[in-house]
Formats: sequence, C-alpha cells, structure tokens
Amino acid sequence: MNPFEFEFMQRAFVACALIAAVAPLVGSFIVQRGQSLVGDGMGHVAFAGVGLAFLVGADPVLGALALTVVAGLLLVRMGRGGLAGDLAIALIFYGGIAAGYLFASRADAAQTQVVGLLFGSPLNLTWPEVWVIAGLAAAVVVLTVALYPRLVAMAFDEEAARVAGVPTDRLVLALTLMVAMVVVGGMSSIGLLLISAMMVVPVAAAAQLASSYRATLALASAIGVASAVIGLLGAHYGDYAPGSAIVLVAIAGYALAAAWRSIARRAAA
Amino acid sequence: MTPPGPDRSCPLELDGVSFAYGRSMVLWDVSLRVRQGEFVAVVGPNGSGKTTLMKLGLGLLQPGAGQVRLFGQEVRSFRSWSQVGYVPQRAQATSALPVSVEEVVVSGLAARTRRFRRLAEEVERIDHVVELLALEGSRRSRMAELSGGQQQRALIARALVTAPQLLVLDEPTTGVDAEARSVLRESLRHLVEVEKMAVVYVSHDPEGFSGLAQRVVEVEGGRMREGHGQPAVQVAKG
Repeated sequence: MNPFEFEFMQRAFVACALIAAVAPLVGSFIVQRGQSLVGDGMGHVAFAGVGLAFLVGADPVLGALALTVVAGLLLVRMGRGGLAGDLAIALIFYGGIAAGYLFASRADAAQTQVVGLLFGSPLNLTWPEVWVIAGLAAAVVVLTVALYPRLVAMAFDEEAARVAGVPTDRLVLALTLMVAMVVVGGMSSIGLLLISAMMVVPVAAAAQLASSYRATLALASAIGVASAVIGLLGAHYGDYAPGSAIVLVAIAGYALAAAWRSIARRAAA
Repeated sequence: MTPPGPDRSCPLELDGVSFAYGRSMVLWDVSLRVRQGEFVAVVGPNGSGKTTLMKLGLGLLQPGAGQVRLFGQEVRSFRSWSQVGYVPQRAQATSALPVSVEEVVVSGLAARTRRFRRLAEEVERIDHVVELLALEGSRRSRMAELSGGQQQRALIARALVTAPQLLVLDEPTTGVDAEARSVLRESLRHLVEVEKMAVVYVSHDPEGFSGLAQRVVEVEGGRMREGHGQPAVQVAKG
C-alpha cells in the first residue's frame, strides 16, 4: 500500500522532511562551537513551555517558543557569567524536564499528549500545524543564508571573529533563536527528546564525507531529509514509532559514513 | 599645557594598563606603543601575562586600570576592525567539522561580507594572501589534513585578508617545522618591509622572530621590561 495516498502520511512527510532539512543547518554551528547538547537542553525547556501552555490554556507552540527563547537568553547570560557551558545546559535541562512534567500533570494532560511531544507524533499533525512548521523552517533558512558568513566566522573562532569586527554577542542570540525555532518546529513531528539528534547526527555523518564546511551543511541537510523519509517509510511498513525510526536511520547513516571513510583512508594509505 | 592627544598613526597603544583575573593580578602598570611599520616581539615564559597583554590590546579583555587605544581611538569605541588582523594560537582554531583552507581565509572578511558573491577587490585580496603565504596548492584542502605550518599560514592569511595595518600573532611557531618557519619569516618580512604593517609577535620562542624584531619587550611576573633592537635572543630570558 502506497503511504503517500494517505493525507496524514503526506502531512507527516512534509513536516518531518522540512524540519530534518533545517535542523542540521543550525546544528552545524552548535557542533562546531562544541555545544552539541544545547538542542537537548532547549528541548527540555520547550517541554516546560508546552506544560505551562496546557496549564494556562494557551497555544502549546507559543508556550514552547516563548520559554525556549527565554531559556536561550538565560543560557547565554549564564555562560558569560562564568558558568561552564555544560553546567548551564545541565541546569536548564533538568529544570525543563521537571517543570514540564509538573505543569503537564497539574494540567491533567493526557499521557498520550505528553509522550507524543517527547517522542513525536507526526501522523497526528494537522495542515495548520504543518504550515507553522514550514514557517519556522523557512525562517531558519532565511537567517542561515543572511548570517552565513558571520556564523561561519564565529563558529571557527569566536575571538578571531570579534577582532575581525563580527558582532558575536548579537550573533549568539540569533543562533539561540534559531535553535529554539528548530526545537519548537520539531517537537510535534520528531519529538522534543529526539529533535536535537537531528541537529547533530546528520552533521556528524556529513563530516565524515565532506571536505568543506559548506559541503558539510548541504550534505547534512540531505542526510536529514533522507533519514526523515526512510524513517517514516519504515514506521509505516514496520509499525514503528516514527520519531525514533527517523533518528535511528540517521544514526545508521552516520555508521555507514564512518565506515566508508575508514575504508577510503585505508585504501589511500 | 594640554597633554598630547591620541596618535592616530600609532596602531597600538597601551598606557599604564593593569589587569587581574578575579583577585589574581596578571599585569601591573604596563605601557607599550607600537608604531606603523614596526615589528615588536613580546616575549616571556608561559603564564607571564603576554597573551593577556595582547588580548587587552585587541579589546578582548577590559583593563582594570589604564587605557588601550587602536589607531588613536579608545578600544571600546574602536570600529575599524578591518585595520586589525589577529592570529590566535593554532590549538584555538581546531575545527570539529571539515573546513577548507579557502573557507578559513574568506571567514576573515565576514564582518563586511553580506552577500555570497564576492567583490572583485575581495577576490584579488584573497588571491594575494593565498599566494603570499604559499597556500595556492592547498586552497581546497581540509585544514585537518594539513601540516601545523600550513594551518598556521592559513590562519595568518585569514588575518591578512582585510589588508590590516596591524597584525597580532600569538605563538605562531608552536608545533611548526623548520621549513614552515622559514616561509612564515619571509611572509612577515614582506609585510613589514613592503606593506609597512605593524606586527606584534607574542612568543616564548625567540628563534621565531630573530632577525625580524626591531624591538623586544619582555613580560615576566606581570611587569614589562623593554629591550631595543636585535637580536631578540639577548633580551629574552630562558
């Protein structure tokens, strides 16, 4: 049975492919800056935002976006205040998951709603939700293109970029906002606990094969889309959880790329 | 009588600068003037405060006391960063992801490049620095696959791509072989003698700038001692 015949599958393919295409764009910059876990921390905060939205009867997307942006700003401030980067992420990580579940339980949110947010439920998306994801993905692409030279310079070496006149403080805020947009865009499709994997794993896979930063970005985006499509097909035919299937396909892609590189190195030696 | 005003022809000026990390004093009342076309070596043992001195000069750290000026302007309000080139220690520039030599060089233009299409003058400048640093053959190579000397030259090319008038290098010869040091020396000689660039060369290794430095200042225990002329080896302590 052709999965594309079903409208719910069409929605899932569009949403997952879009977010999987843009997540590595942002991910490349956070990986290069040694902050691979920042997306994870933000995902947990987004969960708190959704829980809070459930509690007060607000829109979950807005709740998640608002809290992730606030957490991002806090993260930057804590980092500048001398707190080690991973400690600041850990504090936000633990605070987010604890607050999220507390809010959700107080709001009597159904367990299926909570699990759907944590691990993704792309088959339940509506078209308006898909358009919101498309809007967030488009905003990430526009920001990446507009800020690309400066983001690259900052990712290579923040101090050298500052001396070259790049406004790194503002750029860190922009990057934080981009992470927040990917996390919120990916929460209902791939899941809050899994979306950060799509920021990191395709980038790690592409880095095994590419020879430049720009090629890494393009290849990582393609690997992200391929993972989303193959993962959803696997979920459809094998009756697996879609978010998990997508991330596991991406990890398999990394393993293949690493094996290929190892073979190519041995052949060249 | 009014004191002499800021000297716009002076690329770098530190005047009575002190700095502490928390309660730990690192520099006391340090003054340094680097003139146009001058090669100044800053030497001292590890932990002496020479990198801190350089970071203060570049506005990366704020002094507790004293003044720092770039081209006669207070460093906090200085905006003409294309006049300044900075080459950090190579270890700081290690990339987690693949990056080509050309991408590293071009990233030096990031502050003024707002488009993907480069201007003819930018292309010309990129070609010039790539040739000056003898990187033509490795332009599209991954940085990680290059020798330490080639990586260092790529970082210098990045710093030079805006045609700065002041170049600051932090331990540029660390982990660099003899042949690469020779290429580096010739490139620096060209910058000072032909392009009249001011160079500040921070190192614990006097051999790297021997025969190039017009002035050597020694930082030890947070204080500065100045020697004049060459050879640098006589001034630097072991």
